[in-house]
Amino acid sequence: MSFTNMSLIDPDYQYVGLEAFQRVILSQSFWTMAKATVIFVAISVVLQIVLGMILALAIDYGVKKHLYGSVSTRIAVLSAWVIPGIVIGILWKIMLIETNYGIVNYFLVQSGFSVVSFLSDPQMALLSTIAANTWRGTAFSMIMLYAGLQQVPQHLYDAARVDGARALQRFRYVTLPQIKPVVFINLVLITIYTLNTFDMIMSLTGGGPGHATEVLALFMYFEGFNRFNLGQAAAVAVMMLSVNVVMTVIYMRLFIDEEEF
Amino acid sequence: MSTETQIRSIANVLSTYTMATYLVFAVAMVFFLFPVFWVMSMSIRLPGEVLTYPVQLIPQQVTFEPYRQVLQDSSMVTWIFNSLKIAVLEVIGIIVVAVPAAYAFSRFDFRGKKHTLFIILLFQMISPVVIVIPLYNMMAELNLLDTHIGLILLYIGLQVPFSIWLLKSYFDTIPSGLDEAARVDGCNRLQMLIYILLPSMGPGIAVVAIFNFVFSWAEFVMAFTVLGESELYTVSIGLFSFQGQYSTDWRVIAAASVIAMLPLLIMFIGLQRYFVKGLVEGAVKG
Repeated sequence: MSFTNMSLIDPDYQYVGLEAFQRVILSQSFWTMAKATVIFVAISVVLQIVLGMILALAIDYGVKKHLYGSVSTRIAVLSAWVIPGIVIGILWKIMLIETNYGIVNYFLVQSGFSVVSFLSDPQMALLSTIAANTWRGTAFSMIMLYAGLQQVPQHLYDAARVDGARALQRFRYVTLPQIKPVVFINLVLITIYTLNTFDMIMSLTGGGPGHATEVLALFMYFEGFNRFNLGQAAAVAVMMLSVNVVMTVIYMRLFIDEEEF
Repeated sequence: MSTETQIRSIANVLSTYTMATYLVFAVAMVFFLFPVFWVMSMSIRLPGEVLTYPVQLIPQQVTFEPYRQVLQDSSMVTWIFNSLKIAVLEVIGIIVVAVPAAYAFSRFDFRGKKHTLFIILLFQMISPVVIVIPLYNMMAELNLLDTHIGLILLYIGLQVPFSIWLLKSYFDTIPSGLDEAARVDGCNRLQMLIYILLPSMGPGIAVVAIFNFVFSWAEFVMAFTVLGESELYTVSIGLFSFQGQYSTDWRVIAAASVIAMLPLLIMFIGLQRYFVKGLVEGAVKG
């Protein structure tokens, strides 16, 4: 389909070779959206990994030391993950209402800042989608890394301690190398998920203002179903698909490696 | 004792790491629970209390009027019913397909087994968003647009791969000695699967069921594309269309959101132990 000029409203179509790809790549808005997508994916993924790691370490430590709140924190974080994406979008929209009645703006004003237009300013809107996506995705990252931490044998830590390694050194030289495969698998998976985020952005900003939060997944959908350019939509889909497949192949490589341990 | 000395003595008891951990817990609790709390708080307010300044964290007066409005004046009840129907049929379909498949992958050795498993996984990694356009064309040609059965078949197709993987790792944990004992007693393969293995598969099947239930409750792109009429909507699309309609009354939107997420949250919190265990064993150990 990506090699045709197929359209939803016109049943006739011809094969036009790479024209659909050409048109997509030459269009101004594609690059705006590609940029938005890269920013969205990159920042979300980094935040999800870092927050997921901090939480996984804290919960792991908490469970081992029988601290209060380890399991409740785990449940709280995981809960964010089972809430449907559409609801997450609405949840954040309600929090980010752009007058000082919105709760986040209220707190900002209270702490001496001025009201921020979270959803109508292009840059802030992109940041808002990143925040909401991180809220949703950190749980997955945390549970993967937590599972990874469970598999590090305790005696390695004991040995490191005998050798006089401090906590940070133990993390750097024992934990990280041991859970490296899990970290990479996690990285690949959250990149795939984030790249394909659709429902949450749909209800949070609908791609706007302008095209500021129209990541490629939305661009593809709108191109196909609102602007009826199936050929061009399919071209974008093929590009996204290739990123997905490349990520998957990397994932499988890691998966096989890990199985051979 | 002054408060300062009190704090210092507590600090002496707790190590730095413990305190750091509690700090992380506290921040995480606020960050992850606050949005949910806030939406609930919005949904039980009187109209005048939504836009008050200073903002009230907990409403002074509680009303369930927004909930009444959602349940009576909109199609929410129909949507919930649709979602339930689709989710239940999808889960049943997936279990019927995935259990025998996972059994075969776990117990038989055949040529290309590893490759088949990887191809299955490859399909799982492809997101619905990317393939929604060709799927739309296929559904149109099969006359399955605007039907629940079409959507259910799509969901089964999309979710079977992951379910097979998860169930396979469960089958792998059941010792094959059990199979042999059953065979000595004269069971054929099917009887063995139903009477001997299924009972010990309980936790695995539960995880698959929860996972797919949550998936189909939340799924948006496919349902949004395939279902055109509002009586056919699932909760997710219903809520999305609803948001446009009631864009001015945050209380009603908040109430609808609570209705859409609460059943899942309650179910999940009740079953999360299973879920974490299943994911830890299924996803990471492979």
